[in-house]
Amino acid sequence: MLGLHPTRSARGIALGAIALLAALACGNGATGTSAQEAPSAQQILRVNDSTEPNSYDPGQQTYTYEAAVGRTVFEPLLKPKADLSDVEGATAKSYDVSSDGLTYTFHLRDNAKWSDGKPVTAKDFVYGWKRLLNPALAAGYVDPFFDNTVAGGAKYSDVNAKDPAAIQSFLDGLGLSAPDSHTFVVKLAAKAAFFKWVATLWVGAPIRQDVVEQAAGGPVPVTDTTKAEAWANNAATIIGNGSFKISEIVSKDHVTEVPNPNYWGGAAKIQQLIYYFIPDQNTALAKYRTGELDIDNVQATNVPVVRNDPKLSKQAHLLPELTTFWMTFNSKETPLDNPKVRLALAQSIDRDKLTNDVLQGTDKAFQTFIPKGMTGYDPSLGASQKFDPAAAKADLQAAGVTAAQLSKFKLLTRNTTTSKTVNEFISQQWQDNLGASIQLEVIDSKTVTSRIRKGNFDIYGPDGWGADYPDQQDWFDIFQTNACHSLNWGCVTLSGYDSLVQKADTSLNESDRNSAYTQAQKQLIDTGAVAFMYQQYEYDLVQPYVSGLTITPIDDEFIPGDNHYHDAFITKH
Amino acid sequence: MAVVATVDQAVDWESPEQIGLWSDVWRRFRRNRLAVAGAIVVAVLILDALLVPLLAGMGLVQDPIHQDVTHIFGGPSLHHPAGTDYLGRDTLARLMFGARISLSIGILVQGIILAIGGVIGLVSGYFGGRVDNLLMRFTDIWFAFPDLIFVLVLVSVFGPSILSIFVAIALTNWANLARLVRGQVLSIKEKEFIESARAVGSSGFKIMARHLIPNALGPVIVTLTFGIPQAIFLDAALSYLGVGIQPPTPDWGVMVQDGYQAMNASAGQVVFPAIAIAITMLSFTFIGDGLRDALDPRMRR
Amino acid sequence: MGDTAVGGRPARGALPPIRLRLPRSRGVALAIYVGRRVLWMFPVLFFVILITFVLMHLAPGSPWDRTGGRPLSAAVVANMNVKYGLDKPIWQQFLLYIWNALHFDFGLSYQYQGKTVSSLILGGWPYTFTIGLLAFCVIVPVGIGLGVAAALRQNTRADYSAMAFATFGAAVPNFVIGMLLIIVFGVTLYNVTGGNYSLPVSGFGVDDHLIMPVVTLATLPTAYIARLTRASTLDILRQDYVRTAWAKGLSERLVVLKHILKNSLIPVVTALGPTFAILITGSVIVESVFVIPGIGRSFVTAVFSRDYPMILGTTILFAVVIALANLVVDILYVFIDPRVRLS
Repeated sequence: MLGLHPTRSARGIALGAIALLAALACGNGATGTSAQEAPSAQQILRVNDSTEPNSYDPGQQTYTYEAAVGRTVFEPLLKPKADLSDVEGATAKSYDVSSDGLTYTFHLRDNAKWSDGKPVTAKDFVYGWKRLLNPALAAGYVDPFFDNTVAGGAKYSDVNAKDPAAIQSFLDGLGLSAPDSHTFVVKLAAKAAFFKWVATLWVGAPIRQDVVEQAAGGPVPVTDTTKAEAWANNAATIIGNGSFKISEIVSKDHVTEVPNPNYWGGAAKIQQLIYYFIPDQNTALAKYRTGELDIDNVQATNVPVVRNDPKLSKQAHLLPELTTFWMTFNSKETPLDNPKVRLALAQSIDRDKLTNDVLQGTDKAFQTFIPKGMTGYDPSLGASQKFDPAAAKADLQAAGVTAAQLSKFKLLTRNTTTSKTVNEFISQQWQDNLGASIQLEVIDSKTVTSRIRKGNFDIYGPDGWGADYPDQQDWFDIFQTNACHSLNWGCVTLSGYDSLVQKADTSLNESDRNSAYTQAQKQLIDTGAVAFMYQQYEYDLVQPYVSGLTITPIDDEFIPGDNHYHDAFITKH
Repeated sequence: MAVVATVDQAVDWESPEQIGLWSDVWRRFRRNRLAVAGAIVVAVLILDALLVPLLAGMGLVQDPIHQDVTHIFGGPSLHHPAGTDYLGRDTLARLMFGARISLSIGILVQGIILAIGGVIGLVSGYFGGRVDNLLMRFTDIWFAFPDLIFVLVLVSVFGPSILSIFVAIALTNWANLARLVRGQVLSIKEKEFIESARAVGSSGFKIMARHLIPNALGPVIVTLTFGIPQAIFLDAALSYLGVGIQPPTPDWGVMVQDGYQAMNASAGQVVFPAIAIAITMLSFTFIGDGLRDALDPRMRR
Repeated sequence: MGDTAVGGRPARGALPPIRLRLPRSRGVALAIYVGRRVLWMFPVLFFVILITFVLMHLAPGSPWDRTGGRPLSAAVVANMNVKYGLDKPIWQQFLLYIWNALHFDFGLSYQYQGKTVSSLILGGWPYTFTIGLLAFCVIVPVGIGLGVAAALRQNTRADYSAMAFATFGAAVPNFVIGMLLIIVFGVTLYNVTGGNYSLPVSGFGVDDHLIMPVVTLATLPTAYIARLTRASTLDILRQDYVRTAWAKGLSERLVVLKHILKNSLIPVVTALGPTFAILITGSVIVESVFVIPGIGRSFVTAVFSRDYPMILGTTILFAVVIALANLVVDILYVFIDPRVRLS
């Protein structure tokens, strides 16, 4: 039975502006009513992961398409509950927090085992986390989750990665310890109510020191960066503690996983989990239609095809993500430094047309920051950015700016189909509703990133964020003043915002935190820091014989239910 | 008439083919119906490219960038004879406006390629020896030239100017033509009539011009006509990288690319611009064939 | 056997041309020629590497700029630069690269952690090579055959259909052709046979997986080679002595056909050289649409991720292949038309 719980948190991965997903559809649970399992020869689940992971070492992974694979092969300490209201035990069966909130003690399960049968010990977690925090390995997901929370981690940016002694003393000074084989202790640098969510991140997986060293041909010096990764390049040496293990990697084609027979939760029912790397959406759709693919994500241009097909439309599901998108303005340029100008631009976008028509209903219009499904979602906060051409013109006039002044700006666009489509529409909206002729500048994605990092743009979008975990802390540091040039691309400065967010991050009182975050959110919206546009949903096709999927808004890479494939199975068909 | 033709042919028995008088060429071209048809079509396309903004101003052609998002992927209808695209814009209007960019790039780039590749091939083949070796090694380097990176650098330095497109496409595609021309020159160079012409005292380049062209023009024309759609698609790919036209300016190559994404939803979006490109290429093929036939005095008509 | 060479006046500044009158030394002369050309490949490669290196570093965007997902912190970026030697001055990096390349060490990929460029390229090349070679084996007979047939039947219906095919192959880009094939022989065939048979939509396999990618890859080059052959054959056919010989009847026709082919093949062979090189180093589009795990996408992916070592590796591969292909073409010239002299 498909359980759709689009209510809360999910982990998502931070998104810049990835190609958006497909359209709306209202999905109902589309599985067979009789949960009759197919014979084990047929228990094969084939999923499209669109892009091949750059690495199979969870510590080196950063993208959703990597997490999709990483999460099935490795398991961190905790995982989000299916309804995203809180965390629950994964490899750790429970945890305690000291009264001052600075020490977390994780109690590992006695029956947590690696795929080769050895037990998972706390030492494995210490090794894994220290590897993650080793500056020489330059893991992408360290900041800000681990270096800003773990005691001693703040020095991460200052360590000389070429100096083995400096690295060693940094690693030794981290607040990570294993007092006994099934107890993992983390000391924090400051109070962090959200740390339990950090422990659900898949990059915090345990790693086996002996596996790494055997593949490297001996102990690995802390400064070594190549031999340290040798184990992750071979299916046979990727030993993980997740519900599946990798049996075959065909680069650029697919990765095949089989159940981990030693998994503490029992072996998975799916006997073969195959992730294909199909970049072309038309090919993936054709593969689905010929029965060679079981789960596929449908992009906007193919949504009408699915909707109009009597068979396919019954297999389609519209699923929410904890991801929202907005347009970013460079506040260092006049007159974009004026909040009224930014609000005018935000108020002249007809979001309903954008999401229902242009995006074929695959996203839902909204004007706030925190998406629906997470604590902090409050549509009433979005009033000031609502679509209202008259108010937009009035705001522009009040700011003393003419449409002609805005027409000198360019809209920086990534060279993906969705970015182009959305921006063509928005540029036309600004023309129709404000009289501002803001032309597109479509450029290759890397160049765009390099330009926004330098602040070399006027307006950029669609920019967005996907939750790493369903806690508001993950969201608000985007717009902090010191995040200028690194997430706060527009370099917006809002008075009082930083201290508000700081207060919320370090408080241990839930209601204090929530009210502070809400205040900050209102500030973002009312000053038009960015023009919020829509929450991302995904439109997926799932073959009717796929059962047991638990879908949450934090599933990785538009693959519904991928956080819980352990429970999935194929019904007789 | 027949007698004269036979006598002409008899006289030409021993001597090599040469280009006749230009008026003869023109006459022979005119008699080739396909070639004339091709020329007419090209003329129509060029007229369309030049006049379509006027027509749009008069209301005869719809606005190519006017979006109507409630009618996305519409099929062909009275109001939209070629349907609508992913933002509800009229495809026919976009096709007619697209001719402006696609024709100019498709055709003009071939001129640049002919100039560069043709000269290098000619010089290399004619002079041979060290010159040939150096030029051909230079061409080898150019074959392996990383054009994609070059384009990125061009964009960052010059921005999206139309000139960059010409530079980008022409500069990276002349090598094939150079090799082809060189091959032709090499195969003709040693033919007896060249030697005899040289013996008579004709200058090298004049020989090349008068004998190479009718004898070796065929493959060159084919390469150039194939280069037209190639240039259009390359231009579309490049515009996706920031070189050249930006959306929402219509262009056939971009329309095919966008149409591909919508192939399942609305096949017309990819079919119609492909037809436009095909018609252009076909017309130039007929013109090219006709030209070559006309330049050959032996063609019996 | 070669016609008598006329007057052997060597081209300016060149070594004496290959004297084809003496068959015994022909092999030796050819070997010397090949040897010289191979030597010339080194400076060619050097310049290719130099140009690529410079352009790569000029291109905006660094390998560590994220195009999606959380941007890397400055500390991580600094450490990455150290890890891959990007903190050294550019000229030093270049010289180091040349030195390593001479030892066949092409570095580590930035994008695919811990994998060497050589292993990535060598691992993916067999797939690309197989498909490219098969496509070539289709292009040569079909293209040349169609072209000659069209030329011999100029301005008849056969000629026009060949021309229509050629136009279609050129005006419709290969991703559209590929997807058309998938829709017809994948989805539609599946529906029509009630799910019993269809061509596999994507992936590589030495079976019917090969059909659609090879056909897609071969379409445009076949069209081009066909038209090229036709044009070149027509040029020969126009010459009266050919026309008269043809008119003489079947016994003469075979001889004439051989003569036609010999003379008309020069431009065709010239075009086939780069075609072969491009086919066996892969098409990014065909490999994306049909998900072939080859190296066709490697260059483009590497450029878009600024994976410098991969960019260099794939460019070097292509440069070597094209130089070799052009060398083979030049040698073939001599065999096809013995009058052709190479320096």
